[in-house]
Amino acid sequence: MHSVEMKNAEAQTTPINDDDERISGHLELLSAMGQDFATSLDIDETLRHGLKRITDYVGAEGGALFLLDDRGEKLTCKTSNGPINLDGLTMSSAEGIVGRCVQMDVGEIVRDVSNDPNFHTAVDDKTGFTTRSILCAPMSVKGERIGAIELVNKNSKDGLFDDHDLHLLRSLSSSAALSIKNARMAEALVEQERVRRELELAAEIQRSLLPDEGDDTSPVHGVNCPARTVSGDFYDFFPLADGRICFNLGDVSGKGMNAALLMAKTASLFRCLGKTIHQPGRLLSMINDEICETVTRGMFVTMAGGIYDPKTGIVKMANAGHEPALIYSGGGTFEAIQAEAPPLGISPLISGDGGIPEVEFRLDGGTLYIFTDGVTEGYLEDGSELEADGLKKILIDTAGEPAATRLKTVIDCINRENVALRDDLTLLAIDDGLNKIARDERASSDEGIQSTAETVFHLNFPSQPDRLKLVRSAVFDTVMLCGCSESVGRDIVIAVDEACQNVIRHAYKGARDGQVILDIARAGDNIVLSLRDFAEPVDVSKIKPRDLDDLRPGGLGTHFIREVMDDVDYLPPPDGEGNLLRMVKRIE
Amino acid sequence: MEHEISERDGALIVGFSGDVDLQSSPEARKILLQCVARKMPVLVDLSAVNYIDSSGIASLVEALQTARKGGGSLMLVSVSEAALRVLELARLDKVFTISGSIEEGLEKATS
Repeated sequence: MHSVEMKNAEAQTTPINDDDERISGHLELLSAMGQDFATSLDIDETLRHGLKRITDYVGAEGGALFLLDDRGEKLTCKTSNGPINLDGLTMSSAEGIVGRCVQMDVGEIVRDVSNDPNFHTAVDDKTGFTTRSILCAPMSVKGERIGAIELVNKNSKDGLFDDHDLHLLRSLSSSAALSIKNARMAEALVEQERVRRELELAAEIQRSLLPDEGDDTSPVHGVNCPARTVSGDFYDFFPLADGRICFNLGDVSGKGMNAALLMAKTASLFRCLGKTIHQPGRLLSMINDEICETVTRGMFVTMAGGIYDPKTGIVKMANAGHEPALIYSGGGTFEAIQAEAPPLGISPLISGDGGIPEVEFRLDGGTLYIFTDGVTEGYLEDGSELEADGLKKILIDTAGEPAATRLKTVIDCINRENVALRDDLTLLAIDDGLNKIARDERASSDEGIQSTAETVFHLNFPSQPDRLKLVRSAVFDTVMLCGCSESVGRDIVIAVDEACQNVIRHAYKGARDGQVILDIARAGDNIVLSLRDFAEPVDVSKIKPRDLDDLRPGGLGTHFIREVMDDVDYLPPPDGEGNLLRMVKRIE
Repeated sequence: MEHEISERDGALIVGFSGDVDLQSSPEARKILLQCVARKMPVLVDLSAVNYIDSSGIASLVEALQTARKGGGSLMLVSVSEAALRVLELARLDKVFTISGSIEEGLEKATS
């Protein structure tokens, strides 16, 4: 097969001895190969085919095309033809005649390789082939070396390549070089596009980790603008079974894919653990431990997380190395909640005994803002940074707007059209305004209940366990008189008994000389039971029904009270002393 | 609160009557833990309990856990309506084995 083609090639080249004919033959070949290179979708196949054509046209015994690797150290034979298959042969770019040709970026004719000290004899030695003469032309584009094409042993009478052959080979190697470069650029573009698409997918997953935007009545609003496709910032909020809202905002060091992955991990840990652990300091400590165990060296997460209670406006939160959170309640001044612990992922030691310190405060109609430094360090139109003062000014100016509008105003200042963001922007607002109004309305309607209420029973007794039997019996008789069914009556007895126990055990701490006053009133369809003591005020936020899945003795009483009664509230006691618990039961 | 302990078919039967409340639950707790410590199946008869509060329930839970830890058993028999209501409120009606009568409980305990 090979020898037949060789003969054809010879037949083609033999008649050309006139310059004009030679030139026209060259032009035809150049044009045909140029066409091939321009239209080919398979660069390897085109190179193989082109090399074959030129080998045959020049009338050489064999040919090989070598490509230089990215580092410019090695030459590898991409395709070859002739009696010896050199495909895949790799040699140092400092070796051989091909190497010299590539290094010097000049084509050459070596008429007798045995006289050339650079001739690489290894291939001949191994294959038994005898290389006599070589024609070699470099492939390069604007000085960027790509490789070389080498032809061996011309099948003419003298067996020697001439200047015409070199000239022709150089023309062809230039167009081959150009098409290789184009193909490589196209490949790089495809790769870039693939990476871009993967980033888009990652960004989509990240966006799905953010909570859905609540409507205008939601007290919590958040916004996140990534500086790149993916973000190292995150925020989340979700309701707990008792109506409180767990929230967080975090910032992973860095902005790339590694930050995005650590963000996904941290956000998932918070969401998962936050559903069962309702102490923010302990929660952040546990996340810290998890991150410390596995995090890549040098990466860390700043995070502020906590729990907001719409029924009281009380926020309990912990701040691990994050920007100070700001509380605004009007009047043009902010209160800052500073970080009390280093960022998460730095040291497992911070999770020591008490965990990360918690702070507790009452929003009382104000708004808590948590944000990443991308916001305060974001560039304004005039090139200056927004800074905390700029942020505060916007929040004061827009205080009358809904929370979502306030956040948007801040973002729009920094995230302007056609301006690249310096860092991810993330803001979270917890606005107690509407809940404060609802609480006030409820308080005034409560006053309504109180004013129309008719007291039907009044008992003043000492804080002693042996009085409870009497209390139970009196309560049962009273509520039965008020028209309760027997089972409802028994339930109310359970609630009152447990509430009295709490006063004796927790408020008076077992002291037997405390004064307890129980009032039972009838207000419309409601039975209102008020239990008053004169002990130290108890921290209402620490009174919680216990988790029933946690099988251990104790802590059940508060759960019974909430389960049995329709409304349970701690009210401010009339003269500011002691505690006043009001329990309401509706009767048919 | 009154109580009575008897032995039958290799099991201990402890019956409470009256009110198991803040006043009496420390005593109920002591009695229950002593019964459990005898390494016999324990049947707690609640038929005559008029009232039981969270501290009484807590004593039962503690006794149950202690019994289980020691490889023993504790069950409730003939639970009065008042006691059952409180067990339901605590969602513990599925945690305890509850039998309708002492005979039924003994059968379960010794099988």
